[in-house]
Amino acid sequence: MELINAFSVSLQAVWTDSGFYNFTAGNAIMILVGLVLLYLAIVKEFEPLLLGPIAFGCVLANFPNTGFMEEPGLMQAIHYGIANEIFPPLIFLGIGAMTDFGPLLARPSTLLLGAAAQIGVFIALVGAMLLGFNVQEAGAIGIIGGADGPTAIYLTIQMAPHLLGAIAVAAYSYMSLVPLIQPPVMKLLTTQKEREIVMEQLRPVTKFERLCFPIVSAILISLLLPPIASLLGMLMLGNIFRESGVMDRLSDTAQNSLCNIVTIFLATGTGLTMTAESFLVPQTLLIIFLGLVAFIAGTAGGVIFGKIMCRLSGWKINPLIGSAGVSAVPMAARVSQVVGMKAKPGNYLLMHAMGPNVAGVIGTAVAAGTMLAMLK
Amino acid sequence: MSQPVTTNPFIIMLINMTVVFLVLIALGLVIRLIHVFDPTAKKEEKPAQAPAPVQEAEPVPELPNSYDGVDPEIIAVIAAAVASMGGGSLKVRAVRPLEREGWKQSGRLGR
Repeated sequence: MELINAFSVSLQAVWTDSGFYNFTAGNAIMILVGLVLLYLAIVKEFEPLLLGPIAFGCVLANFPNTGFMEEPGLMQAIHYGIANEIFPPLIFLGIGAMTDFGPLLARPSTLLLGAAAQIGVFIALVGAMLLGFNVQEAGAIGIIGGADGPTAIYLTIQMAPHLLGAIAVAAYSYMSLVPLIQPPVMKLLTTQKEREIVMEQLRPVTKFERLCFPIVSAILISLLLPPIASLLGMLMLGNIFRESGVMDRLSDTAQNSLCNIVTIFLATGTGLTMTAESFLVPQTLLIIFLGLVAFIAGTAGGVIFGKIMCRLSGWKINPLIGSAGVSAVPMAARVSQVVGMKAKPGNYLLMHAMGPNVAGVIGTAVAAGTMLAMLK
Repeated sequence: MSQPVTTNPFIIMLINMTVVFLVLIALGLVIRLIHVFDPTAKKEEKPAQAPAPVQEAEPVPELPNSYDGVDPEIIAVIAAAVASMGGGSLKVRAVRPLEREGWKQSGRLGR
């Protein structure tokens, strides 16, 4: 009798401790969301390297009683790296090592396009505040329009950590949808004549300029905006690895193995924040909507400023490169190229669009820095 | 967390966009300054001017390297590409431009 009793008690304990017993409808929905994202990543190839781990992280986060966030372990270590802004600057180290600032150095005026496209960030911020988000939340939502995943995560963690899952998913999803979102806006705002402008070849940039730029700009921006010193500092350090010519091994590690390792942690950790309690709220839908507004407004801002620069330069700048001012490197530049080629076959805008594209990365980081300085 | 300076979204937008523009304009100035003070740039310009008289003294002979209006550089690139694929005994006999854009485009757009 005692044996049967002990059996039933322990079986009951196992059952009540199990995931099945504690499973909620919210968990089921979120696991389904994770699986849909996984499908989009693997089958539709929407930014698979990021969306894949985010999606599976989301599935993992919704198993009850795993104690991921309560007990020390891998999941908590990953979360620590995100919550303490360790991973985004490391990703920036890799991005710096991958980025060629040459087109920007050859035509510094394209920095303005990178600045103009940040209007999307602030239009979304205004929209978010009008929809009832507080100012910190609105800033974090707006940064989706910067089309820069690491910066978005960096800012969100400091301003509105409870929205991280929704913001990261919106940012990365829209980044993968850039080839669908941008072309209609670009075509709507430009005339055929503007799209056909062939731009002059960029001047060659010396090694001295390539090496001086990351050093001087890191000093300048870090002094101006200390809150983003770690982001910009790592970006420029990676670029020094690349351009110095004597740190090839470090450059190689930063842009390949290290970047891949950190991407795994950052993306999985982002997925792990997508628990049912934090993601299944009406705010998520609003954030996804505002993210789209931010992307469209950013693209429009860049293109409109491109039109102004086109007129001022005497029709030497093709406004299509303005849309590349939303970061999304190098996808947005490629979109400029494709739209330009459709208007006039043989018109290669890719290198010209890389200028505003990398300027957009700096612009988004600066926008994040000013918001941190002003709103945090 | 201290209290934000203002919570009027339009003022926030205005201030932040101004800061973003100012910082990037400052960066643009830095780039121009680097270009102006670049000690290596002048060294590169000088040899570019130097060979000019040499060309006059010794006119470049008309090499038979331009076929059907194809740029000799393009021919050199194609020959180098063929050689790098291991074709030690291969010879490029003719390089003719084609009108079809399909291969060019797929090559440029493909990764």
